[in-house]
Amino acid sequence: MSTTAALLRSELLKLRSLPSTYIAVAAAVGIGLGVGTLVMTSTAHNWLELAPQDRAAFDPVADAFFGFQFAELAFGALGVLVITSEYGSGTMQPTLVASPRRLMVYAAKVATLVLVVLPICVASSFAAFLLGQHAVAARHLDVALSDPHVLRAVVGAGLYMVVVTLVGFGLGALIRHTAGALTVMFALVFLAWPAARAVESVSYLPDRWLLVNAADALVSIHPPSGPDIPRTPSLSMACLELATYVVVLLGAGAWRATRDL
Amino acid sequence: MIQVQHLSRQFRSTRALDDLSFEVTPGVVTGFLGPNGAGKSTAMRTMVGLSTPSSGRVLISGRRYDEYREPLRVVGAVLDGNGFHPSRSAGHHLGYLAAANRLPKARVAEVLGLTGLDGVAGRRVGRFSLGMKQRLGIAAALLGDPQILILDEPNNGLDPEGIIWLRGLLADLAGQGRTVLVSSHLIAEVALSAGRLVVIGRGRLLADSPVEDLTPTGGATLEGIYLALTSGMADFRSGHRAGDVR
Repeated sequence: MSTTAALLRSELLKLRSLPSTYIAVAAAVGIGLGVGTLVMTSTAHNWLELAPQDRAAFDPVADAFFGFQFAELAFGALGVLVITSEYGSGTMQPTLVASPRRLMVYAAKVATLVLVVLPICVASSFAAFLLGQHAVAARHLDVALSDPHVLRAVVGAGLYMVVVTLVGFGLGALIRHTAGALTVMFALVFLAWPAARAVESVSYLPDRWLLVNAADALVSIHPPSGPDIPRTPSLSMACLELATYVVVLLGAGAWRATRDL
Repeated sequence: MIQVQHLSRQFRSTRALDDLSFEVTPGVVTGFLGPNGAGKSTAMRTMVGLSTPSSGRVLISGRRYDEYREPLRVVGAVLDGNGFHPSRSAGHHLGYLAAANRLPKARVAEVLGLTGLDGVAGRRVGRFSLGMKQRLGIAAALLGDPQILILDEPNNGLDPEGIIWLRGLLADLAGQGRTVLVSSHLIAEVALSAGRLVVIGRGRLLADSPVEDLTPTGGATLEGIYLALTSGMADFRSGHRAGDVR
């Protein structure tokens, strides 16, 4: 076993030995699946009373992921806490005494987080999809994984949760304080939305760079309609944007991680 | 062997370390003394790579700390602000450190036994007393059975029995030919355990010699010697001497 594998094992042990990890994951998965299923069930229930434009707007895949817009905050918070709790409690100190190469420690933390979160996110996006389809099957509104764009949307929803987790982690590494990093993460995911809306008379570019709008492009199987058309990036643009968020924030976090405590 | 070579560290407006050089040799407990703010903790953090010096370097058995892939096998450190997550158990804390340096799992149980914590391995550190945390810090320092120990105020929070135990442990470790550097503000404790003294003030070396050279036959106490050495060096000194209190 190499030094790298030893570092990964150490970081995994750290993650697994904290109750907060389980709480954040349970909250994220529970909310993600629960809210999505509720929304789909109520749509199926009220289908006959729905206005025609609401029926047209129904996206059996994207709507199944309705709960993910709350779950993403729990995953983002998990990403923040994984790193800020180390600075807050001071465990970064013994960690760096045991492993003085700071960038290696940082990389091991990122790798461990992805290793843990990726399977959970992808599994819960498949679960949300299947539960959602089951809820609307009686109305024959469900789609199959083999239908066009569906698999991409389901995998995309899972990957997007990983992206938000890493955004939280990068911010946490950069800011090193739980409250501050949580606030910025929350602002980036949620509060940037009205801000982008406010400048629409000037440009739609901020809209198209919002995390949530990139997510929309990733998880919808219908093209955007009405006022959402200029706000939503293309699929390839959305992927590029999410990659940019991850690279920029993880990079900024890496820079800070090399500085003294 | 620890070699501190021309170490300087500038924090914005203050100079924490100022061209500090000394060596800590094996086989003897070296006491590390100085007033509050003298730079003891900064020097010790620099030794284990936590604090980057503005200039100078520290060599641990001839190499810089960050050149070691598994440094816990070479150096054990107790630093102030021990760094335990309150929700993590003592056993898990030692477990992840052992894993990082590929130390056998059995070592975790061994050091827990050695420090008298074997009964509370599964307890969250948040429920530990100050003294128990200090013991856990010492357990972590001993994890890799290192030849070099760097201990910043290891007596903090220990009960009298713990202080006596630690004194014996340090003597044993030094007796085995290990290098032991211990900072303390309890001069009486240092007088009991240290064979050598390094005294610094305002980041500069004030004395570096065997204890008996500092307290020659003539009855001068170590306390008196220390106060003479550091007079004018203390940044924080109370306004009244003990005798002034009415």
